[in-house]
Amino acid sequence: MASQLSRYVLRGVRFGQYSCLIRTVASRPTVLSSLDTHSRSRRDVSPTSLLLRSDVSSPPLVALYSSTPKLNREQIQDRVMTVCKNFDKIKGDQLTKDSHFMNDLGLDSLDHVEVVMAIEDEFGCEIPDADAEKLLKPSDIVQYICEKEEVTA
Amino acid sequence: MAHLQTSFLTHSQKVCRLYKAAARTLESYFIHRHYVRYQITLLRHRFEEKKDVEDLREAKKLLKLGEEELFMKQHPQPRKFALSDGGSAYMRTVVTPDYVLDWWHPDEKAVYPDYFAKREQRKKEYVEYYEKKYGKAPEVEHN
Repeated sequence: MASQLSRYVLRGVRFGQYSCLIRTVASRPTVLSSLDTHSRSRRDVSPTSLLLRSDVSSPPLVALYSSTPKLNREQIQDRVMTVCKNFDKIKGDQLTKDSHFMNDLGLDSLDHVEVVMAIEDEFGCEIPDADAEKLLKPSDIVQYICEKEEVTA
Repeated sequence: MAHLQTSFLTHSQKVCRLYKAAARTLESYFIHRHYVRYQITLLRHRFEEKKDVEDLREAKKLLKLGEEELFMKQHPQPRKFALSDGGSAYMRTVVTPDYVLDWWHPDEKAVYPDYFAKREQRKKEYVEYYEKKYGKAPEVEHN
């Protein structure tokens, strides 16, 4: 609906018509923003920029394998908590981000090794054994991954 | 530095490391995830069977046997994470070492006076931290 409206508006701009429509539409911020996006994508003429543009709601059509998207702390936290939740020996209702794997959740050391391996698989990075022994809470893991990925926020 | 062993490892730490290495080796041998999981469960069962061994001599012997078995069964082409040592993208993007900034010409450094002032301060603080932790470095005569 919004895109249709903005198309009308653009046509109006081009032919100098529908000026009343623009005035009515311009008072709505949502429609204005979609108009803005639309006109911006029209200005981008190179096909690469069309394929890579990320200002529209759909994901970009081309993945750049040279770099990974920058993670933020919430994403890391969500992924760590999902991994912990899906671990079959952890009961979901006991799990918080500050619960101790051994003391609160009743895992043994080999279970802890398996949790760390699952985290490694999730983030595709190796966690050395000496560091893994110190990651006794989900919040510790989040902090460790943030430092590794150089996430500051 | 995490890969360097600088402290004594307890028996349980060694067992945990053996378990992890063995599980990763199984992942190299088997492709399908459910089958890997099955094999790791069998491996876990072998560890669980010997969990209650109280005699440390016996436990040490079992650990040694396990490590030998891991060595004999190691995979010729183990799976590695892409960015870790031995992985396909390890060191693909070379990060410029930090000390390169010290080689900048003074004229170039003068463009960013705030940064380089802070950098000198940080270097001084690091030397203090190092000397506090490891003691003063011995004087070495350079010939």
